[in-house]
Amino acid sequence: MSYYDIDSILTDAEKIPCTFQIDIPDLGYLDNTPTQSLKAGTRVNLPLWLAEMLAIANTGDAEGKSFVTFDLPPALGNDVVQALKADPRAVPLRDQSAHFYGLGTHMMELSEEKELAAVLRKTFVTRASEVALHARKVGGVGHRGKGAAEEGSNLGVGGAGEEFLRGLDEWERKLFRKAHDGAKSGKEWMEGIKKN
Amino acid sequence: MAMPLPPGLAHSEVAFLAEMELVTVVPRQRLESIDLLGGATPPLRPPHRTDLPLWLALLLKKQRRANIVPPHWLHPSSLSEIIHHETKVNPKAFSAPPPTPVRADTHNPGHAHRQGSGGGGAQQQQQQQEQLLLSAPFRASCTADAPAGYLPYHWLEVAESLLAHAGDDVASALGASAGEVRGLLRDLVEVRAAKMRSSTADLEEFGGGLMSMRGVGAVELAESRGFVLGVVDGVRKVGASAEAVRREKEEEEGEEGGGEEGESDEEMGIF
Repeated sequence: MSYYDIDSILTDAEKIPCTFQIDIPDLGYLDNTPTQSLKAGTRVNLPLWLAEMLAIANTGDAEGKSFVTFDLPPALGNDVVQALKADPRAVPLRDQSAHFYGLGTHMMELSEEKELAAVLRKTFVTRASEVALHARKVGGVGHRGKGAAEEGSNLGVGGAGEEFLRGLDEWERKLFRKAHDGAKSGKEWMEGIKKN
Repeated sequence: MAMPLPPGLAHSEVAFLAEMELVTVVPRQRLESIDLLGGATPPLRPPHRTDLPLWLALLLKKQRRANIVPPHWLHPSSLSEIIHHETKVNPKAFSAPPPTPVRADTHNPGHAHRQGSGGGGAQQQQQQQEQLLLSAPFRASCTADAPAGYLPYHWLEVAESLLAHAGDDVASALGASAGEVRGLLRDLVEVRAAKMRSSTADLEEFGGGLMSMRGVGAVELAESRGFVLGVVDGVRKVGASAEAVRREKEEEEGEEGGGEEGESDEEMGIF
């Protein structure tokens, strides 16, 4: 997680649902009521970095209330977790969030979610082997136009495979690229043996 | 900004290293010993078999000065046996690397490190240097003396080179067409690649984050390195918060438990 890591910056920009615990003057425009103050109990979607700051920051209140409390974003909600438990491969994670795992790990840092951690881990591992499988299959995509024979060997691309690949989040896309690079260089090496 | 090189060796580098493997040749012409940086090559006296590095053997083969004797593990029956072992007998693990010579394990009994000098008198020079512990490229694992049924570290590179450049020798020595051997090799590659993919499932449980890479060849490592490292790193990141919590808890328990905890840690250290 470097300072200049674009993915971590984009992950921090994901919105999560927050509930304000105290009245805040002049912030009404966050709730489409520009003239009034923001009431306690208002639910507003805030970017992760801001929510984190507000949730941790001390208000100076005697009861130790923080500015906001936050819930899990819908991407990590119960529906998604149940679906992932059923079959990790069937859920297009990208539709939930392009930075699904980044968001998940960040949320787990903020609040302990044992079940979520186990589900995420299982999801990642199960999908990883699927990712590798597809990465190996699409080996020919790098140099298309080799004719029907080459295309024919790429079974599984198109149809379900393509749909699955579209549902990959950023971590999985990186993984896919790595696996694909490996398979591709292996293929190139294999073809190059005879030449020299 | 310059892009950093990816970790590990690329395929071309691995293939280059594999050319150091010794293979057995039957020379057709006399050739005196050549003084090379890595030591002198044995003089060639037809028709006596001699072990040469793969690159030199291929060079002589191209010039029709020698025939290459393929290693036993390249035999179709050996390959089918390995495939059978990988698919039926032990569908989870990779097949074991070649066994270590007997005298190698004096320092570390029970551990099958790839150490030891020349397999069963395969190499006269190495026999003189019995004290030397030698690893993959210097073990004679691709000569005619190499045992069947075990894949050495550079199995795919050596096999592919031999099939590409000395296909006729392979065919005549093994009594099978180069195509048949190649087909078996392809099967083996696919089986093992599938195994590599499914081995990520071992990382699923907390605490069980281990993937065994025993018996995996150099090329396979080069191919899967990025993927495997990515998976392990991803699992680490997903589990980071749980790990931090666990550690905190352990530390607290350690403080409460006082000396007891320390002692048990020491005991663990012994094993």
